[in-house]
Amino acid sequence: MPRDRDPLVVGRVIGDVLDPFTRSISLRVTYATRDVNNGVELKPSQVVNQPRVDIGGDDLRTFYTLVMVDPDAPSPSDPNLREYLHWLVTDIPATTGASFGQEVVCYESPRPTVGIHRFVFVLFRQLGRQTVYAPGWRQNFNTRDFAELYNLGLPVAAVYFNCQRESGSGGRRT
Amino acid sequence: MEEVWKEINLASLHDNSSSREGLNPDNPHFILQDFLARPFSKDPPANRVSANGDTTFLVSPPPPPPATLLSLNSGPGFDFLDNSCPLRSKPRLQMQNNPISDLPNMNCPFEALASPSGLACFDKKRFQDPDNNSGDRRHKRMIKNRESAARSRARKQAYTNELELEVAHLMEENARLKRQQEQQLRVAAATPLSGKRTLQRTSTAPF
Repeated sequence: MPRDRDPLVVGRVIGDVLDPFTRSISLRVTYATRDVNNGVELKPSQVVNQPRVDIGGDDLRTFYTLVMVDPDAPSPSDPNLREYLHWLVTDIPATTGASFGQEVVCYESPRPTVGIHRFVFVLFRQLGRQTVYAPGWRQNFNTRDFAELYNLGLPVAAVYFNCQRESGSGGRRT
Repeated sequence: MEEVWKEINLASLHDNSSSREGLNPDNPHFILQDFLARPFSKDPPANRVSANGDTTFLVSPPPPPPATLLSLNSGPGFDFLDNSCPLRSKPRLQMQNNPISDLPNMNCPFEALASPSGLACFDKKRFQDPDNNSGDRRHKRMIKNRESAARSRARKQAYTNELELEVAHLMEENARLKRQQEQQLRVAAATPLSGKRTLQRTSTAPF
């Protein structure tokens, strides 16, 4: 698919959060029975608990870092807390899942109050096992800077979903 | 843009005695209070040029410091902020008081823009020019709405693209699995059937 049709580009995830990259590792995020595909809408009640995350790759000795951020905090029209860090897991061995990694920042349930937020999962390959320090606070996290700080390079996979408050009426009218 | 700016400067110089350095907008120390201290009635033409419809002259960065001073009437000032950070649209009052955080490279004029004076100028401007204020509010609202609409379109398009990708992927997988299955059936059909009637050797005796 040409770059400008890529859902990550059209949805401005590449741009607001990430630089253009090439997917090389499979990333599967599942909330209960719902697989997260780019741009699906989930309700806060559906994402209360951390999802199941399965990653690809082939060598168990390769480790990955998973970041989950909200670039539209507190509101997409005024995202002055961009990005809000919801989850940070490191040292995930290839072919396994997030539950096999080190949870540096525990999962916080998305609770958007204003507008429709994007919630982005990003997967990075680590150079080796490494100590990652949790940031002092969740807001104003910067995924690009984080990747640079820990020498993670460009992402190897990413996926995002949309979420608005439980009683929200924005978006698709079905 | 520079011409507009010169126009304004000349006009205001005509109004004021330019001998006093303090009232010269070109003076980088021309602070907000000085601006407000200027004769009230003499304000109209010069500032209207900048405040009113011409919202574009502040677009090209970096703006000269007096330009942001004149942006007290939130029209052009807002647009400057808006253009530098398209996803943001701050409420008016906040905008008056926060330029320091948004524009850290601005020099001293805005250090004088403490909260009270910001509010004062807000009120003064309102008293001066109610029509323009509601016009600005409408304008601001329109921009916000435009951005929201753009986000909405992007959201819709991104999801559609993703679905198309998924469909293509699933169709491919389906075709592959069908082929695989067909292959396996053929292999199964080719080998001789091992049914119930086939004799089998088993060992029942211990020796």
